[in-house]
Amino acid sequence: MNVLLIEPDRLLVQTYAQALERDGHVVVVVGTAQAAIHAADERKPELVILEMQLVSHSGVEFLYEFRSYDDWQAIPVVVLSQVPPGEFIDSWGLLQGELGVKKYLYKPRTKLEKLLRTIGEFEQVKA
Amino acid sequence: MQQARERGVASEQLLLSIAEQLKMPLLQIARRAELSILQDSTEGLKEMQTTADMAIRLLDNYLFGTRLALESEYQLQMEPVSISSILYDTGQQLDAMAKLYGVELRLNLGGKFGPVMAHRQGLQSALVSLGYSLIEALPSLHTNKADTKLKLELAAHRCRYGVVAGLYSEAEQLTAEALRQGRKLNGRARQPLATLTHSSGAGVFVADAILQAMDAELKVSRHHNLYGLGTILHPNMQIQLV
Repeated sequence: MNVLLIEPDRLLVQTYAQALERDGHVVVVVGTAQAAIHAADERKPELVILEMQLVSHSGVEFLYEFRSYDDWQAIPVVVLSQVPPGEFIDSWGLLQGELGVKKYLYKPRTKLEKLLRTIGEFEQVKA
Repeated sequence: MQQARERGVASEQLLLSIAEQLKMPLLQIARRAELSILQDSTEGLKEMQTTADMAIRLLDNYLFGTRLALESEYQLQMEPVSISSILYDTGQQLDAMAKLYGVELRLNLGGKFGPVMAHRQGLQSALVSLGYSLIEALPSLHTNKADTKLKLELAAHRCRYGVVAGLYSEAEQLTAEALRQGRKLNGRARQPLATLTHSSGAGVFVADAILQAMDAELKVSRHHNLYGLGTILHPNMQIQLV
């Protein structure tokens, strides 16, 4: 699967990318929302993994921009974030509805194994 | 009473951002260890060790800063110190972490400086905390210049009031406005320095607390077309007279 990984921490991104590649995925990594839009345009990802806490533009801002293009409406987005899901309790409807977040994983409690399993589920749906 | 309440709130805010910040190295170690287990290799051991060492060092610095923030009337005892040696030691402490993040750390001492008045441990802790925050932030601040090597300069230069010591980079986002906003949002927002770093930026606020206890101030400074955070240190007048 072509995966766009939006993760600002340089050490974490190496670990996640290695784990995903080991599992057979093709990974493009970027650190900011702006770079993610360019990467999505160039690499046509089949899945986006997104950290909500980014520099300058947040994950939510990225999602608004990303979902404003017709071509990208159907691409699933999995949030893998340091922000606990409870902090989005008031905007849950918006995240899952208009912004198309398919799964919200809280980073400190998500092992690589769970992340890979989640991506595997999307791969199965696609197949 | 009011003062004590304000002091309590300030130190709670500092503790919140420190706790958030310290989650990151732990997470890096946990995931890296998991990957090594999955790969059945010892490949990431060196990286994990560096990250753990840095986390312990940061914890020490943060504890020092928090203690000072809790006792805001406490002033650090000043002594004549060599700024060159403090910057050199700071560089030594940050070097391994900088390499992991792909940041080239440089020491730039613009001339010879006589002793300045500072608290040695305090100044060094402030610079290490600040350095960690900047090293962590730099990769995200330079995404438009993929071919540019990330650089962070530990520098000292003379100014009208004394010697400025700080950390400088090419990141234009290091502005006085970003710092002012960050101080206002510290403890209230998850990302007080949102234009600078994806983390809580605890290192910046710890440096702030330590420098305050030295009767100094963390300021945004420009030097040789670089943008930085640093503080003004006053020369030791007694030695100057001699």
